[in-house]
Amino acid sequence: MSSPDLLRFRLNGHPAEVACEAPRILLDLVREDLGLTGTKRGCDLGTCGCCTVLLDGRPTLSCLTLARLVEGREVTTIEGVTPPNGLSPVQRAFVQYGATQCGFCTPGFVVTATALLRESPHPNREEIERAISGNLCRCTGYRKIVEAIEAAGREVP
Amino acid sequence: MVATPPPSYRLLGGRIPYIEGPLKVTGRAEYTDDIRRPGILVGRLLRSPWPHARLRSIDTSAARALPGVHAVLTGDRYPIPFGVLPITHDETAIAVDKARYIGDIIAAVAATDELTAERALSLIRVDIEPLPEYADPRVGTSKVAEPIHSRGLLGSNIQKEVVQHFGNVDAAFAHAAHSVRVRGNFAGVTHAFTEPMATIAEATPDGRLTVWSATQVPHYLHRALSEVLEIPMHRIRVIKPEVGGGFGGKSDPLPHEIVCAALSLETGRPVKILFDREDVFYTNHGRHPTQNDVRIAIDPEGRILGYDIEALIDGGAWSSFGTVTTYYNGVLAMGPYRVPNFRYRGRRVYTTKPPSGAMRAHGGTNIRYSVEVALDMLAETAGIDPFDLRTRNALPPNSKTVNEFRITSTSFLKCLTAARERSGWDAKFRKLPYGQGVGLGCGFYISGSNSPIHFTPKMPQSTVHLKVDMDGGIAVHSMQADIGQGSNTLLAAIVAEVLGVDLDRVHVQRVDSDVSPIDIGSYSSRVTFMMGNAARAAAEELRSKLVAAAAALLDRSPGALEVVHERIQEKGYPEVGVTFLTALHRAMETAGALTASGSYNTSPLGGSFKGARAGTAPAYSFAAYVAQTEVDDETGEYRVSKIWAAFDCGRPLNRLAVEGQIEGSIHMGLGQVMGESMNYRGGRLFNPSLLEYKIPMPQQMPDVEILLVGDDDPEGPFGAKEAGEGPLIATLPAVGNALYDAVGVRFTDLPITPDKVLKGIDQRRAEGRAWKGR
Amino acid sequence: MHLDAFELHRPTSVDDAMRLAAEWSGKFDYLAGGTDLLPNYKMHINLKPHLIALDAVPELAGHSLDRVGAMERLGELERDPAFLAAYPSVADAVREVATPLVRTSGTVGGNLLVETRCFFFNQSYFWRESLGFCLKADGDKCHVVPQKERCYATFSGDLAPAFLVLDAEVEVAGPSGRRRVPLVDLYDEKGDGIRRLKIQPGELLVAVHLPPRSRTLRGRYRKLRVRPSYDFPELGVAVAGTWDARRVESLSVAVGGVEPYPRRFDELTDPLVGETLSEDRVRALAEAITRAVRPVHNTFLLPDYRRRMVSVYVRRAIAEAKGGTAA
Repeated sequence: MSSPDLLRFRLNGHPAEVACEAPRILLDLVREDLGLTGTKRGCDLGTCGCCTVLLDGRPTLSCLTLARLVEGREVTTIEGVTPPNGLSPVQRAFVQYGATQCGFCTPGFVVTATALLRESPHPNREEIERAISGNLCRCTGYRKIVEAIEAAGREVP
Repeated sequence: MVATPPPSYRLLGGRIPYIEGPLKVTGRAEYTDDIRRPGILVGRLLRSPWPHARLRSIDTSAARALPGVHAVLTGDRYPIPFGVLPITHDETAIAVDKARYIGDIIAAVAATDELTAERALSLIRVDIEPLPEYADPRVGTSKVAEPIHSRGLLGSNIQKEVVQHFGNVDAAFAHAAHSVRVRGNFAGVTHAFTEPMATIAEATPDGRLTVWSATQVPHYLHRALSEVLEIPMHRIRVIKPEVGGGFGGKSDPLPHEIVCAALSLETGRPVKILFDREDVFYTNHGRHPTQNDVRIAIDPEGRILGYDIEALIDGGAWSSFGTVTTYYNGVLAMGPYRVPNFRYRGRRVYTTKPPSGAMRAHGGTNIRYSVEVALDMLAETAGIDPFDLRTRNALPPNSKTVNEFRITSTSFLKCLTAARERSGWDAKFRKLPYGQGVGLGCGFYISGSNSPIHFTPKMPQSTVHLKVDMDGGIAVHSMQADIGQGSNTLLAAIVAEVLGVDLDRVHVQRVDSDVSPIDIGSYSSRVTFMMGNAARAAAEELRSKLVAAAAALLDRSPGALEVVHERIQEKGYPEVGVTFLTALHRAMETAGALTASGSYNTSPLGGSFKGARAGTAPAYSFAAYVAQTEVDDETGEYRVSKIWAAFDCGRPLNRLAVEGQIEGSIHMGLGQVMGESMNYRGGRLFNPSLLEYKIPMPQQMPDVEILLVGDDDPEGPFGAKEAGEGPLIATLPAVGNALYDAVGVRFTDLPITPDKVLKGIDQRRAEGRAWKGR
Repeated sequence: MHLDAFELHRPTSVDDAMRLAAEWSGKFDYLAGGTDLLPNYKMHINLKPHLIALDAVPELAGHSLDRVGAMERLGELERDPAFLAAYPSVADAVREVATPLVRTSGTVGGNLLVETRCFFFNQSYFWRESLGFCLKADGDKCHVVPQKERCYATFSGDLAPAFLVLDAEVEVAGPSGRRRVPLVDLYDEKGDGIRRLKIQPGELLVAVHLPPRSRTLRGRYRKLRVRPSYDFPELGVAVAGTWDARRVESLSVAVGGVEPYPRRFDELTDPLVGETLSEDRVRALAEAITRAVRPVHNTFLLPDYRRRMVSVYVRRAIAEAKGGTAA
């Protein structure tokens, strides 16, 4: 059991240890304390999905997660779903298919889509629309996002 | 002007993924809030909880005394007014004398952290005299007890009145075979981009002030900072990081940007202001709530005889682009049809609400809805198919409207044909079962406003600089603002196309006023057209230097050479040539690194009457959309299942980007129809959140079939015109008219929510009118 | 946006939680998924200085076909095809709660006990101070129906009606031990938007228990909202029962999203047992339920419209009910 102030968890596949007070929100911990600015802050109230990370593999709103409660768990940010050299199939598809315009919502979508394809490798359009319906995009109208995720699904055997 | 281009290009016209795509999809793209500056302070704003109040005194002593507070500012410190339009500088960085809406900035604090800043705000004591709330623009058209601004016309709250009359509208109506009147009421909507406003300012001991901000208009911000802070522009540096969406909501210099700079000057430290989502709603600058009154007269064959339009525009507390809005709500009715007689009276009225401003398809959306509904009604009365009615009235290419808009290229007729055929219109219109319907909506929009703000007409609206050194990488400098619409990519692609080089040689530099030549910014859909032309000119200048060098190396005349992929060679003798790098190095022998500059300015357009320039543009885009809807007449819920979007943007230079803009525009237009609205009671906004502001979900998006049918525009770069705002406009009336075809109810007000659909159906039945047998 | 300071406790058993609840009586909130509590905390709504997080209490976790732990995440239920097939009303409801992201964290217990909502209540501190605080938070009067006695905030959870029609029971742990109570008795129909639960302060919802026969029922939950995701119910109708063309063996209807508590209408459905579920009877039932509810204007859609939809949704829910193993 870690000391009251020290939070121990796994971050993007590696052990992490951060001083953390009770009211600290995971989004703030990730962006400010850990310097990982890939996860975005769009509303702070769970109403846009820009802050999506994976918690034990599940897409989660980091703005509504108390950091202390990730003790012992696995947190994956956009940095963690990016391969060390290059782009993942989801990321490649987002670029190819024009699924990213201003890009602010994109990390949240990529994280959500990555989790979706791990759970359901060949989703149809309806499944994709459901899975992404917690991530808001104001630029694309979602069409190309759905196409990109479908395409990434086709790429996986 | 541009020479006749070849029919096809190596890069342009294809699907070009965004050059910064890999950074965006990995979270590596740097937005303002991602920037870290050592010792940065948190700036927070105290907002007025009163809709209208005289600020008698503001006591900041307790706030100042709080440990961790570095500065507290009030309006008297920086009272010089500013605004995006030179003629309406009515805003101050912080409220001076009065607060004019719930959310107006009345003080600012810089502190070590957010908690301290918030505490400091709560310690500020504001003594006020409450003033009357003016939420209804109709009230504001007469003299009021306490005008929101002293500039209001004759003691009223009218910010701007436009009256125009061309031809003889009364005569036109007197001789009309049919006429119709539509009174539309449009709720305000807002941009709701995902990236909240964010600004960092850093005053440094060398006397410079650097400001990073999420802005669409770095140059206008630069000017406003200089004016309000009274610092010469050359001492201020404005940098535009990656921006997470704008749509017009970041196209004014905004008060918080100036406040942030002021806090940094005051503290000597970098300061960041990051908005909460609620702040974003209070800042607004969205589409104006509007009431319009549109009468249209036609002859027996359906030819338009005249428009008679009135518009009452709810401005909110500040002017923003409002003077332009007031013109646009009338003059942007003047296409895509020939309108021989036109009368317009528009009034924009200040109210004690978050200010409205420019939002995608600014000024052209609400009026278009009413006009297209009116034309649909006239088509029905006259027994003419809606498509035929449009066709009969289409403005031809190379024509002029009566208010002297110059139309050059138009493929509007092709849009109509494509939309009609692909949608299967003739088999569907009025023939689908009750509850299903198709509707036509059309539109047009400016491809860049012909008159720049803040310039004499003699300065270019866009300049592009190129620099290439021995490594062969081409740096592109321009103040054009990529806000997600892909302008960086287009800029790079144009340069790469002209120079015949691989796209990855071209590096578009971050916008930085120290090095980026002015482009006036991303608004009025000007960037493809104007930046594109400037980029082409710059690249051609660079190309001629390289071709000259190659000519010297090959002992040929420049005219005998052609630029192909990464190579300059003799026409007809491809083995006689040099690589790009070889030519480059030769050219550098005399000059070192090569540079080139290109710019673009519009030529004077428009008549000589007051306000003639409003709505003039070097080109216009055109649209004809068909929407298909299904209505559940028990619940009033409806779905738009498909939209056929025929669009004329001239030659689409990046199909991926153009499609993205069309799909995104349709989504945004659909939102305004289906449920987006700024819900006010009096001056109080009831839904300043992304939960209660109803942006459509993926399941609500229709299938979209995009039909790009434009011909090359004679002045657009490589024939291109805008595709950033025009694609939104036709969406709304297409859906409104489709709902009529489905259930026989005319919707003249937006949004159209399920309860209104039911109400309309009830009313129709109460009037004894059946529709498609029901 | 930051959170004001609080102390976070993380018990590892129900007994621990009870001890903490007693120690900090009146000064704490339970923290389940946090997807409703934390936004309210960020908006400075009814803050408490202590949070008792329940995510580390094993007894509250997990689910089986006859027991759902109060801390079971909605997303986990959603991923269990056997559970969804057995309880179609709950399947419909759980799939429609908020968004998939919220459902990763949100819990069954949290949704059953979700705070009532109102557009005068679910606003930031700045907004509420500007208008004047309301009865439910920091103030002394209601802005929806101007008076000082009754709060009109609306119950906006989807699972409650869906479980109510299955005759679910809840297991509650309190200072003096455990009790089991029918879910329908958890909500106080004589209460208001503030006092709406028959649960003592400090009591903890442990699990939802489903009677075996509830697996045999047909069921459906219909949610009225402006958009197909994100939005809370502006009306939620659940039905469950066993009926066929000839005869109703059992029928239960519950409605949420229109009043401060979900309601089950046994007095209207019991008389239908043994009868034929004709169109007329369904219509009469739907209209009777419509007359019985009183939505107020504290949400996006107008109350008249929501009332009108009660009738439509009851009829449709019955018509669309699926599943069931009995004839």
